[in-house]
Amino acid sequence: MPEPSRRSLLSPALWGGAAAAAGLALGALWMARRPPRRAREGMAPAARTAHGAAMERHLARRLDEAGTMLSLSVLADSAMEHYRGRFHDPFMYAAPAAAALSLARGGPGSGRRTAHGAAALTGAVGTGFHVYNVVARRESGLTWNSLFYGAPLGAPAALVLAGMAGLAAAQLRVEAREGEPASIAGAPAAPLVALGTALGLLGTTAEVALLHFRGAFQDPWMYVPVTLPPTAALALALTVLRPTPATIAAARRLLQATTAMGLAGAGFHAYGIHRNMGGWANWSQMLLQGPPLPAPPSFTGVALAGLGALDLMESER
Amino acid sequence: MSAEDTPRAVHGRAPDVFRRGGWVPMRCFDDEEEVDFAIVGTGAGGGTLAARLAEAGFSVVAFDVGAFYRPLEDFASDEREQSKLYWRDERVSGGEHPISLGSNNSGQSVGGSTVHFQMVTLRFRPEWFKARTKLGYGRDWPVGWREMWGYYAKAEAAMAISGPISYPWGPPRGRYPYRAHEVNAAGQVLVRGARAMGVAWAPTPLATISAPRGLAHPCVYRGFCKSGCSTNAKQSVLVTYIPRALKAGAEVRDLAMVGQIETDDAGRATGVVYYRDGRWRRQRARNVVAAGYSIETPRLLLNSATARFPDGLANSSGTVGTHLMVHSNHAVWGEMDEEIRWYKGPPSMAVCEHWNYEDQKDFHGGYAFMSQGPLPVDYAQSFVSNTGVWGMELRRRMANYNRMAGLKIVGETMPQEKNGVTLAEERDRFGLPVARVTFGYCDNDRRLYEHSLRFMRRMLKAAGAGDLFETESTAHLMGGCPMGFKPDDSVTDADGRTWDIDNLWICDGSLFPTAGGVNPSLTIVAMAERIADRIVALAGRGELERRGRRLGALAG
Amino acid sequence: MSRFQPPYPGYDVLAKWDTPSWNDPTRRVVAERLTRVPERRFFDPHEWATLHAVCDRLIPQPDRLEPVPIAPFIDDKLHRHQSDGWREESMPRMEDAWRRFLKGIDEAAQARYGRPFVDLGPEWRDLVLRAVQKREAEGGAWGDMDQKTFFEKSLLREAAGIYYAHPAAWSEIGFGGPASPRGYVRLVADRRDPWEAPLEREDEA
Ligand SMILES: Cc1cc2nc3c(=O)[nH]c(=O)nc-3n(C[C@H](O)[C@H](O)[C@H](O)COP(=O)(O)OP(=O)(O)OC[C@H]3O[C@@H](n4cnc5c(N)ncnc54)[C@H](O)[C@@H]3O)c2cc1C
Ligand code: SF4
Repeated sequence: MPEPSRRSLLSPALWGGAAAAAGLALGALWMARRPPRRAREGMAPAARTAHGAAMERHLARRLDEAGTMLSLSVLADSAMEHYRGRFHDPFMYAAPAAAALSLARGGPGSGRRTAHGAAALTGAVGTGFHVYNVVARRESGLTWNSLFYGAPLGAPAALVLAGMAGLAAAQLRVEAREGEPASIAGAPAAPLVALGTALGLLGTTAEVALLHFRGAFQDPWMYVPVTLPPTAALALALTVLRPTPATIAAARRLLQATTAMGLAGAGFHAYGIHRNMGGWANWSQMLLQGPPLPAPPSFTGVALAGLGALDLMESER
Repeated sequence: MSAEDTPRAVHGRAPDVFRRGGWVPMRCFDDEEEVDFAIVGTGAGGGTLAARLAEAGFSVVAFDVGAFYRPLEDFASDEREQSKLYWRDERVSGGEHPISLGSNNSGQSVGGSTVHFQMVTLRFRPEWFKARTKLGYGRDWPVGWREMWGYYAKAEAAMAISGPISYPWGPPRGRYPYRAHEVNAAGQVLVRGARAMGVAWAPTPLATISAPRGLAHPCVYRGFCKSGCSTNAKQSVLVTYIPRALKAGAEVRDLAMVGQIETDDAGRATGVVYYRDGRWRRQRARNVVAAGYSIETPRLLLNSATARFPDGLANSSGTVGTHLMVHSNHAVWGEMDEEIRWYKGPPSMAVCEHWNYEDQKDFHGGYAFMSQGPLPVDYAQSFVSNTGVWGMELRRRMANYNRMAGLKIVGETMPQEKNGVTLAEERDRFGLPVARVTFGYCDNDRRLYEHSLRFMRRMLKAAGAGDLFETESTAHLMGGCPMGFKPDDSVTDADGRTWDIDNLWICDGSLFPTAGGVNPSLTIVAMAERIADRIVALAGRGELERRGRRLGALAG
Repeated sequence: MSRFQPPYPGYDVLAKWDTPSWNDPTRRVVAERLTRVPERRFFDPHEWATLHAVCDRLIPQPDRLEPVPIAPFIDDKLHRHQSDGWREESMPRMEDAWRRFLKGIDEAAQARYGRPFVDLGPEWRDLVLRAVQKREAEGGAWGDMDQKTFFEKSLLREAAGIYYAHPAAWSEIGFGGPASPRGYVRLVADRRDPWEAPLEREDEA
């Protein structure tokens, strides 16, 4: 195997970076798209129903997008991290494979659901593996050192989120009934997705908090992803309790900010790599050791799902 | 123009340590201008003090005979080349157990020995400051641990120490500025052993950053720390206090050897005589600080003898150049089944201080021990000079390099009057008499390192190592100009101010009354922080020129 | 003695010359070491030959077509009066100590085998050197110099320091070699970065 910095730039580590960049561009495109116009007071009932269905499709799309973004992030991140671990355990191929499958999700509906379900399951099992790795396998037992440098506990959970988002989207389409409020597994869709998003944001924040703490919050910007998303999560939870125009608007603004933050985060991390010894010329070390390039967009993914829920919530009011 | 041949810090500018080829502006003083402080040595003690005093508004010139490097461009990844960082001028080592000098314990460059130190930054155990009254050996320090605890925190902040969230030994300390690094495989061997033996362990608090800090890059785990850090991750005095000193208006003179501290008829210091750029010169100063470390500080005081001070400056007690201490550096090494590759990462990433805090022992003092990661030259030299192995057998043993693991102590030795520094007949390249260092272990020292060898043997075995062997060596220097409570048995008071000459100070490792069982630099930096605060306070009371009566009374 | 088999036969640190593991200062220093082997300036021709014969026994390199040069770097250091920063009080000055040693082993070789050290076969050379290490070498050249101290703390230490500062030796023992700007990512046991020597086990496989 040629020495990496002399290998072509399409090495396993670098395509992770490329994937992240692609994700960034895609995300920006999605962001630019507007939801269907809101239902207006004076609309005829038939028009309102048609509008409701459009909103349902819109939420499903948003969920798909969220799943895509998360899968992309997980794919790149787990590929890089497990490459760092040199795939010493064959199971380490599972995470990127599941993420890729969830991404591809071509074919008929049931195939989709299988792919997403597999992703969620892989994520859950992966979390178990990582916990086991940190608690039991590390020489030093459960210590801050293992938490910081052992298998990241929260990372596989992102795969669970990706799978869940995909599943929810599929389910939403299956359960779509003319004139009835959108539902997922029988539960009202908007609040369910909103709560799921809130939980996802909090979980992702926990992971970031741990890693940014490891980085000693050396740059004040590092506080943003541990303060903004939980605030957005709270605002979102509040809309479930009290879906007023004010709460929805506040949540929307915070989620939009979170979406942008996820993308900007990748940029910050790219700058972080530059600040390491050798900068980007030392990519074969720093893509792995510097701040993880593909990680921040997972925030964008989660937040997109929340935005979809808000749109639906607003139209259902 | 290489840093070793021509002074770099001249004409109003000094090297910018963070930029290749870069410069920062530097205030320059005239030789004739009487500056507030002339500081001899820019290491852990001198560099720190220079920054703090300049920041307090004093005019400061700091001298170092070593070069002013920009690590990013001047440091090669090569052990032999980087021996340029060590004190390689001649010295004579004698006594019952002559100690190795040079690479073992003395640096010579702006930033002093911290430029090539291994970054282990541990605090003293509180009781050590009262070793005599609380533990029954050595001497008491004229400074209390509570006060030092505050200065430790200051020093740790200035050097952005990366340390564990909770430290298993000693009274609580605040959060380290940066998080501990990932403990490497060599450190995990210590962890495994510690768990097997039922003693605590910790990721070593290290003066190398685990995340960016300004223009300094985080550690890349290249393992050349002892050869100088080309990454600037290492928070040496060169990249921490020296830039601060320059910014605050201090002048740093590199390749400037101070040969003598001058005194007048009234017995006060008037400045220093130094050699730079091919000639001897004289800098006038209101205060002089010796900060050349445990060998050069006594040597300088002895070399500055006059008719009025025939035994050297500040030596009315006869304690200049006495009570020199080292750390015994005994180690146990073994071969592991797995590949450790200890060249990756700083050499000592895991530490055990168990025997510093456990008093059920048959000796005084304590020791810490750490995991090891010597690079090939270092390891080969230590291996052959301890085992005497040569021939094909040497190459075969060295081929196990990647499977080796080791534990090494920093073992406290007792302050003994007979261990110290005198002047030899020989002269150095400047024509100055060189230092003659005398050292011999006492019984207690021997009991300590034998205890450590027994313990580490068992521990390394428990961690799975085979084919064990031992090496002995020494590290670090402490004492040589002990501070104390009374003018008749010490050189300075608690502020590093010499008893005999009110405007002559000492601020480096030579002040240590006892050695403690941990690496010394953090304590040296903390002491310097304290001495700076004291100087500012004394100046505020108008007691800088002449020792205040209260202090004199206290001392008497 | 069984033959010595270096553990990482396919590994060469010099292959990383153009990668981020090496920077310019390092390339300069190592290039100098590889291409500019110092000429004889301190020892006389006989001492020079004797020292070569000694180094050849201390660190034999029968496996190398071009052995790592050791004696020239010792000569160079002495010529430049490059001290390590101290001298043990009981030892003569460095320049003097090396000359005494080279003379001493000649005297011991004469006393034992009736010819100078360079004319001895490998086994006999080893016997003379072992005698020095045990403070048993004959001859008046030694004076009050402690044979064992010189042998282990100066001669052997110096030779090992020079040999293991050579890239060939780094490759031999699987050392990562120069590492700046790029250091290492994988710090766990039995795990390596792609720019390190392959694991021994990988090799066997
Ligand atoms: C290999 C090695 C590893 C170490 N590792 C650690 C470690 O991990 N942790 C730790 O705490 N400590 C460590 N140390 C020890 C630590 O570096 C020293 O204890 C500390 O730097 C001493 O500080 P100092 O200010 O007393 O002297 P120094 O830092 O040595 O500074 C003295 C300076 O004064 C200059 N000087 C001396 N005399 C003159 C003169 N007459 N004129 C001009 N300049 C002069 C010298 O050139 C030198 O630069 C290590 C030391 C070595 C050698
Ligand atoms: S291991 Fe870290 S501190 Fe040591 S030399 Fe390398 S970068 Fe510097």
